[in-house]
Amino acid sequence: MRLYLKISLLIFGVLLLTAQTPGTREYQLKAVFIFNFTQFVEWPSSSFSNPQSPLVIGILGKDPFGNYLEDALSNEKVNGHPLVAHRYNSIEEIEKDCNLLYINLTESAKTEKVISSLKGVSVLTVSDDPNFLKQGGMIRFYTKENKIQLQINPEAAKSANLSISSKLLRLAEIVTPKTKSK
Amino acid sequence: MFGLYEFPPFVLLLFLSLFFIPLSTQAQEDTSYQAADLKKMSLEELMSIEVTSVSKKPEKLSEVASAIQVITQEDIRRSGATCVPEALRLAPNLQVAQLSASAWIISARGFNAAFSNKLLVMIDGRTVYSPLFAGVFWDVQNVLLEDVERIEVISGPGGTLWGANAVNGIINIITKSSKDTKGLYASAATGNFMKDFVSIRFGGKIDSTFSYRAFFQQQDYNNTTLVPNGNENHDQWGFVQGGFRTDWQASKSNALMLQGNLYESTQQTAPEKSITNGQNALARWTHDFSEKSSLTLQGYFDRTWRRDVPSTIKDQLETYDIDLQHRFALGKHHRIIWGAGYRFMQDKTENSTIYVGLIPANRDMNLYSGFLQYELSVFRNRIKFTIGGKVQDYTFSGSSFLPSARLAWTPNERHTLWTACSYAIRAPSRIDVDYYLPTFPLPPTIPHVEGGPNFTSEKVTACEIGYRVQPATNLSLSLAMFYNKYDDLYSVEALPGTQVYQIQNGTEGYSDGIEFSGRYQPFKRWKLRGGYTYFHKELRNKPNRTYDYSALGNDPQDQFLLQSILDLPWHFQADITARYAGSRPNPYIVDYFTFDARLAWIFRQFELSVVGQNLWQEKHTEYSTTYIPQKFYAKLTCRF
Repeated sequence: MRLYLKISLLIFGVLLLTAQTPGTREYQLKAVFIFNFTQFVEWPSSSFSNPQSPLVIGILGKDPFGNYLEDALSNEKVNGHPLVAHRYNSIEEIEKDCNLLYINLTESAKTEKVISSLKGVSVLTVSDDPNFLKQGGMIRFYTKENKIQLQINPEAAKSANLSISSKLLRLAEIVTPKTKSK
Repeated sequence: MFGLYEFPPFVLLLFLSLFFIPLSTQAQEDTSYQAADLKKMSLEELMSIEVTSVSKKPEKLSEVASAIQVITQEDIRRSGATCVPEALRLAPNLQVAQLSASAWIISARGFNAAFSNKLLVMIDGRTVYSPLFAGVFWDVQNVLLEDVERIEVISGPGGTLWGANAVNGIINIITKSSKDTKGLYASAATGNFMKDFVSIRFGGKIDSTFSYRAFFQQQDYNNTTLVPNGNENHDQWGFVQGGFRTDWQASKSNALMLQGNLYESTQQTAPEKSITNGQNALARWTHDFSEKSSLTLQGYFDRTWRRDVPSTIKDQLETYDIDLQHRFALGKHHRIIWGAGYRFMQDKTENSTIYVGLIPANRDMNLYSGFLQYELSVFRNRIKFTIGGKVQDYTFSGSSFLPSARLAWTPNERHTLWTACSYAIRAPSRIDVDYYLPTFPLPPTIPHVEGGPNFTSEKVTACEIGYRVQPATNLSLSLAMFYNKYDDLYSVEALPGTQVYQIQNGTEGYSDGIEFSGRYQPFKRWKLRGGYTYFHKELRNKPNRTYDYSALGNDPQDQFLLQSILDLPWHFQADITARYAGSRPNPYIVDYFTFDARLAWIFRQFELSVVGQNLWQEKHTEYSTTYIPQKFYAKLTCRF
């Protein structure tokens, strides 16, 4: 019996080495939210090099989605633009053609730096960071009564030439930069 | 000669009874949502989905201080299981043995016997073990597997929260809210053992607060064969069931759930068919006083009727049950759950021979209970200490106190070390107390059985220790070790100087074991889950007793399970579930290995699958004198 135990531990150990990450249900939901954002936000046509070029969803920092983001985006198009996900490890890696950026950095200061570096570019920024909207971010996820809710800063989106549908705004808590987020 | 536990037909007795609200120690995250389903939802709907599946007391599986394992909807669907007992094979901490087309023996932590009786089984909060023998009639415990959200299997005692019979384990079958079963589902299958299978469910909503579903299913199974010659066993089994469920979110803080079921099960037995049927209805009201305080009130009625030809007993049982539960938090660190319940059971039997039967024929049984559990979390919830006790009063056992204490240490999200000590009882059942063989008087010089007038509850004191770890986000492992000390276990012995046998409490002993389980997803398309269980028990007679206690459980020492769920390109699925059960000592039953395989192709709303069960050999024996055959079926399912 000890032998069996050792064997099974060994097998699990080997499998462990080839590990990769599926996300949690929370991020499965958030991935679908992100998919929905692409439907309810309008990008200026200048954001795309041609009508068939992809709408790029970037993840900066640790990727909490696992495969859920790909699941949500696969075979989907917005106005002819296929949806794709790219992962970035640092600010420098963010590509020019990135249209939506999910930021998951541990340090708030870095997040602020990213946001300011995207000034004037039509990138929809999304994060879970509690200070995100204060720093100029656009959409923030938060959890209330075990359910995922949204906070949106429409001013920031407007200044990036992005128009957010009223359908989305209606469901979110609107936060303008000067009001302290709660 | 008087080994009641060895009297197989008696197993096929009746159905139904006992306890609690799905107090769901909370399971792991529900993976039953498919990306496609979520994408169809509106933003409003997305914003109303709970991140963890039990909101009352959200607790990650990784933080629960007990040996809990969860079978998800996907695990069931991908295993090819056709009924609840087959789905329970997917819990590595359960011992499941098929006896005939319609009969199973299911236990946790040993004591696998025809009368396995130390397990508490609930379907949506309705207790389904029978007070007739304190075990479960598995041939009438079915649900529409498509609508199961998850099955929680806790090995080890849970008497404090769950009450009597939660000695060695708890099975909690939880169906989806009707909110999550909208649309039409229809499925039909045919095969060599499961001859036909038809099921249909329709669900919808009247408005955003009120949803409903109704279902119907029918299945027919073929004969097993007999050891050693492979002769037909004449045990064909048919099962028909219909039911409904409604969920109404009456207001922000009030929710009402109502469900009902009726079924009939028919077994081919000599000289005529055995028939069982039943109806049940359950209502549950949940009220949230605040985010930190909620109240649940639940009531159900359950009637079951059983004409079991081989056992020579007809039985009608009516159960009325009401339960109240209140949970609330005091500040950040203290949480309290308390509850009270009452159950009334009216059992009427008819003995069709004078050679064996229950006296008195009819019994009214009352069960009163109340419990209190306190949880303290300190050091930023890293240490959780839970202590609680239940007081219950039952017709056959009088008052009992069932305490437990649990401690969990979660140094970080990935590791939990837990330990628990508990005391639980298996209350006497009618066949412990009222069993007569024969039912007419005999002089004390002729051997006969005269019930168990002095039989008291079987008792366990259990110590457990466990470790749960998530080394990577796609891998979780769990290890639990236990030591159980049993006292006042069942025995049948002659009164001194006579041939008058009575059912007594002349056996004692201990058991120990290890349960190891895990889930692993090496790639997006490939999931693995499984486990290994080691079990060992030592029983002995109390001084001056002579009962052959081997009848109390014939348990394998080792048991393995491995389930592989694989998504292939072009919407194909290839799944394999392999299992091994070690040999059983007394009487000796050879060990077996076998596996089930499922190949499915999904085309839009349609799913075509081919399933083979027990493929390793043509036939094998799991417990007694029947061969369980290789089974094949093809199934077409559509979901609109």
